[in-house]
Amino acid sequence: MAGVEEMESQTDDKENSSEKIVKTKEKNSNQDSEKLMKLPLSRIKSIMKSDPDVTLASQEAVITIAKATELFIWELSKDAVHSTLQSKRKTLQRKDLDCILDTRDCYLFLEGTLD
Amino acid sequence: MAERPEDLNLPNAVVTRIIKDAIPDGVNVSKEARLAISKAASVFVLYATSCSNNYAMKAKRKTINANDVISAMEEMEFDQFEDPLKHCLEAYRNEQKNKKEANEKKKKEKEVEVQTVEDVMEEEEDDDDNDGDNEKDEDFVAEEDDDDDDEEEDEEGGDVESVGPASVANDNASVSGSATGSVVEISDDDG
Repeated sequence: MAGVEEMESQTDDKENSSEKIVKTKEKNSNQDSEKLMKLPLSRIKSIMKSDPDVTLASQEAVITIAKATELFIWELSKDAVHSTLQSKRKTLQRKDLDCILDTRDCYLFLEGTLD
Repeated sequence: MAERPEDLNLPNAVVTRIIKDAIPDGVNVSKEARLAISKAASVFVLYATSCSNNYAMKAKRKTINANDVISAMEEMEFDQFEDPLKHCLEAYRNEQKNKKEANEKKKKEKEVEVQTVEDVMEEEEDDDDNDGDNEKDEDFVAEEDDDDDDEEEDEEGGDVESVGPASVANDNASVSGSATGSVVEISDDDG
């Protein structure tokens, strides 16, 4: 299977920085058509590695999770700003986030993690 | 597990850009809210990874693939992500395919170039009189002995040589012309 990358417990900083450079260049080359990836794949990979149950993940899986995370940030911000506008404020604050985290079921997994 | 800020947090600049794209113009984000969203995103990655891993393990696989991730989104109640993720994956696969084809094309072109250069070098080795063609040197040697206007002919280079039989036939031929042209005036003194 092409692009299968083995998860190792040790993180190589040099490898990550060189990967970032490669990914940055790839990101720049994608700007003409569409911005495929905004979040650095190396960072996403580091977070995935911290799960001891995970052994291997394909490159496509990392990319899909990265894109899903971008969509998540976008969705969370969009929901939170409703509370901001309702309160007639112009700055999105922490309390706006707390407000919507209680309302939607899909944000239940965040309970207790942001404190 | 040890928490390393560098490893578990996403870059602030990128997170801020995504937030600003999502909210209306003129609305700002407090530092506290930005950090909370960034942390939430990291937790999301962990949660998505764990759910995806469960799907992989159910299918008796050790490797998480893209389909596991998309299935996990449904379980996590983020169904609305399914279509955009599928589009993104398709775009990525097409991009990889195009890159591969472009690389193969470049390889083939290079091979053709190398072959062409080799052919040209072989031809140059055969061209002893350096006149740009591989015509028999015997003709060249014969003309040199017969004609008095060899010097002029030499200046004309290949153009004269290409005239070939005509120049041998016309003993009284005078050759004139510009350096670039191949004009040959043939005058018959016997008239």
